[in-house]
Amino acid sequence: MIILRVDLKSPAPVYRQIVDAVRILLVNGDLSPGDALPPVRRLALDLGVHFNTVAEAYRTLEEEGWLEIGRRSGARVVPRTAQNRCDPQTGEAFERRLREMVAEVQARGLPRDRIARELRLLAKTLERS
Amino acid sequence: MSTETMLFVPLLILIGGLFHIMPGLTRPDLFFAVTVAPEFRRSSAARRILGRYRAIVWIATLIASGMALAAGMAVAAVLLQAIGYLWGLVSANRAVRAYAAAPSAVLEVDLAAPRERLPGGLIVALLPVLSLAALGLWVGFHWDRLPRRLPVHWGIDGADRWLNTTPATVFGFLAVQAFVCLLLAGLAWGLLNWSRRISTTGAGAAAERHFRRRIVQLSIVCEYFLACPAWFALFQPAAAVMNVWGLALVTAIVGFTVSLMRGGQGGSHATVAAGAAPVGDRTPDACWKWGLVYVNAADPSILVEKRFGIGYTLNFGNRWTWVVLALLLVAPAAGLILLR
Repeated sequence: MIILRVDLKSPAPVYRQIVDAVRILLVNGDLSPGDALPPVRRLALDLGVHFNTVAEAYRTLEEEGWLEIGRRSGARVVPRTAQNRCDPQTGEAFERRLREMVAEVQARGLPRDRIARELRLLAKTLERS
Repeated sequence: MSTETMLFVPLLILIGGLFHIMPGLTRPDLFFAVTVAPEFRRSSAARRILGRYRAIVWIATLIASGMALAAGMAVAAVLLQAIGYLWGLVSANRAVRAYAAAPSAVLEVDLAAPRERLPGGLIVALLPVLSLAALGLWVGFHWDRLPRRLPVHWGIDGADRWLNTTPATVFGFLAVQAFVCLLLAGLAWGLLNWSRRISTTGAGAAAERHFRRRIVQLSIVCEYFLACPAWFALFQPAAAVMNVWGLALVTAIVGFTVSLMRGGQGGSHATVAAGAAPVGDRTPDACWKWGLVYVNAADPSILVEKRFGIGYTLNFGNRWTWVVLALLLVAPAAGLILLR
């Protein structure tokens, strides 16, 4: 069972939520090369969103090198060769976004130990993969 | 009192009984087609609204039965009962809106959910249509063997409606039969491909798959039964065969209906029994008109679960629904013109 969740009340657009959720599943290894994703029509029906929303999300993931989209075979996870190509700006942007996010959730009242626990958990998952 | 009236009044009472139990068949967090907290059903407000709905339904049923018994006005009786039902439902829907809960904005999909397929594949669903096409070919090559008129409708005492044998009537009759079968095959396929899966995990998802499969099976079984009259018309078997066919058809429909009602809408009774949290039907309340008609242009589904009763209804906000409806109306109209 591989669950994808979309929150219609979130300020993030639905296509962005789909991209982010699928990317997390890919990075965590829940989806492996060779796995098939539901066809655009099926996923759009189940989420109750326009076909173009799902198609755009799949296209973004294809551009990032995660998916291969065939006219008949649908979307399939492919081995990603581009993942090691990383410019210095990406690292800096990641660092900045992470600090911003930690500051934001701290400002919203999330306890420090909870934030630290989540970050440790994430680090362990990364090390394992 | 005629035999028809003797049969008609119990039928009205049976339909009244179905209307009576209908509010209990829906998903637990939908009450008269409005999203509510699951515990709302047990509140005094809910009991009051339910009681009023049932009173309206039974008053309409009793007046309709009286009309049928006293004046034999069958059509007026059916209309009156339907109006009573609609009035009860719409007024209950309005009353429940005051207690509406916000439906969940979180949508879930299981990316690894198994693909649902037609039982036996497309060939099993299309076999009745193909059999009628074969019958059409046979008729074309053996026209001189056909009798002057063909039975096309049967009552308790045998055939009661006939057609003069002309190419237009015979092929028109076969075309109408084939169209009805194709429609049922299309409905079965559409349920699997044009409708939304609501529950994604656990007992709820399994019960919903089972529920959908039952409706697909019912459509295909009905298709096989409805292809038979064309064969009966041309080969005119013994009356006993017709009676067995009629009895088997009624048994199949009643069996499937009872099975679906026991499971509740979308298999929700099994979900509740398993203790799983209800998830509504993942459609916005604002898109339901009077609790009956679903209009949502942003929803790509053509078929959606009914919010009141058992089964599926159309999304009238989807332009493809109108294309399907136009096809549904044009083809039978053409058939009727041919049969005239």
